[in-house]
Order: sequence, then C-alpha cells, then structure tokens
Amino acid sequence: MIDFSMYGAKAPTIKAYKCLTCGTVYYPAPMVCGKCSARRDPVTGKGWETFDLEGSCVLLTWTRVWNLPEGYTEKYLLFGIVQFENGLRASGQLEVEEPKTGMKLNATVKESDERPGQPVNVFVFKE
Amino acid sequence: MVNNYIAEPLRMYSTCPVSDGAAAVLLVNMDSPKVKDFRKKPVRIAGVASATDTHCVHNRKDPLRLDAVRLAAEKAYKMAGVGPKDISFAELHDAFTILELAISEEVGFFERGTSFLAVRKGETEIDGRLPINTSGGLKSKGHPVGATGVSQAVELVRQLRGEAEEGRQVKNPRYGMSVNFGGFGNNVVALICAKD
Repeated sequence: MIDFSMYGAKAPTIKAYKCLTCGTVYYPAPMVCGKCSARRDPVTGKGWETFDLEGSCVLLTWTRVWNLPEGYTEKYLLFGIVQFENGLRASGQLEVEEPKTGMKLNATVKESDERPGQPVNVFVFKE
Repeated sequence: MVNNYIAEPLRMYSTCPVSDGAAAVLLVNMDSPKVKDFRKKPVRIAGVASATDTHCVHNRKDPLRLDAVRLAAEKAYKMAGVGPKDISFAELHDAFTILELAISEEVGFFERGTSFLAVRKGETEIDGRLPINTSGGLKSKGHPVGATGVSQAVELVRQLRGEAEEGRQVKNPRYGMSVNFGGFGNNVVALICAKD
C-alpha cells in the first residue's frame, strides 16, 4: 500500500450521494431526489451525505471500444456497466481478460490523465 | 471495404459521420389570411412533444429501452389524434444502426424485438408498408448535430408535398413522423406533420 500522505495527495475516489430525508442513494449526484423530491444544494450539500463508491460489483454489460479519443495510446479499451451491492450502477474501464456478463468484479478508482485538460477520476473494474 | 469495429458490435458503417450542414423551415400561423397567398401550401404540425431521460445510461432500468422516445411519441400522437398505424413514413434518429430499430419499436411501429424482421422483410423500404428514413437517415446523409432535427422536418415537408425526387417519394403520404434526440435518448422531440 503506498502512503500517499507523504506527497500530500489523496487516493482518488468517486463519491456517491445519499438523501438524508428518505435514504435513497445516487450516483452521480442528482439535483433533486427522485423519490422524495428533496433538493440538493451543490454548494452546501446540506441534507445529503457522500460516501466512496467502490468494492464488490457485478458486470451488467460491456463493450470493446476501438476508436479511442485523442490522448489514449492503447489499441482498444474495455468499458462496462456494473451494479454495486447497494443497487447503484456505474460505468467505467474494465480490466479483465475475458469479460462475461454477470461476473463478479471489484471497483477501484484511478486518476486518468490521458485526455487533454484536467485529470479526472475514473472507475476501473477488475477481477 | 474495410469496416472496422468502433465499439463492438458496432462497426464503422453502423456509425454516422459528424458533418457540416444546415436546414431551415418557415413556421407560419395556419389561420393567417396570408397563408392562401403562399405559392406552396404549408404542411400542418399535427403533434409535437418532447421528453427527457436520465443523463447516464447506467441509471436506466433497462439500457435497451428509450423511455423518453416512448413518452415523447405518446404525447405527440395524443396531440395529433393519431396512432402509430396512421403514420405513412418516418424519419428516425439513426446515429447508429441500432437506434433506428430501437426507436421504431418505442414509437409503436413494431412489437418489441421485431423491428429487425420488418427491415429484413422490406417493410421499411421506400415501397414498403412504412418507409423509414427516406432521406437516407443520419448514417447516410450525415449528422450535423444542430441541423439534424430541422433537416428531418424538411424531409417530412418534402414528402408530404410530394416534392421528393423520383424513386425517393413515398406514395400518397398523409402523416409523417420524425424523432430526434440529443445524447443517448436524454432529450427527445417527436414531431408529426400532416397533409390536409
């Protein structure tokens, strides 16, 4: 385990959101809760809490993208949609040899700086 | 010809080119006394409606469904007082091959999972039961994003006036329908035009 604190940096994370009024969870953040209509102020975040979205998930569907945007050096990348144990779904890169719908995966987060501009945090799903 | 994968199972020829283009329509009040002076009779907008869906495809219950297309079409049918069976021809947003099939099912032209059979039987060809994308669609004519929706409306007008080129004209069309959308069915507009 690398101790990122020595560089003053934090391990990349992706946040999911929970409406504290009714308990419904979301990713990505909604402006309004789809269940109880509670508003989320993107500045204060009052009435909502965030948590890291990661860990065990199941692969729902996937594709192999050959036509990658400028900045990527790989020949192709696998992309998939997964479902977490709490019911949330997310899409991201798939790093497995032979993807199969329904397979169990582990979701991690990495900082992606391939594209021009600011780096972004992306999901990487592994076996 | 080389037809490489873009994103499996879609290959290059299943994918529209992004191109430059422009289109325009003139909207007029059909009740205006000036309408009778027009050289060409205007085509009536019988129904128009829009609907939205989640931004992220992964948040949809079924990623194969286009709920916003279904909702927009239902509202447009209601406004026009017609149903899918009354439509003579359609312009559908086929940025990728799969979308023409998916949209034609969502708007009620075909039962779920059967649109590809209709295409195979030739039902959507120019002399078929329900010609779809008589303009060539986005894959063939290009997809100048901001102009695509209006260019579909232009095609509805041309067809309903009987002005399409020989071999591309639908026989005696009464109602034409277009479905255009942004993103992956995030923001959808359905339009029904009528000749009367």
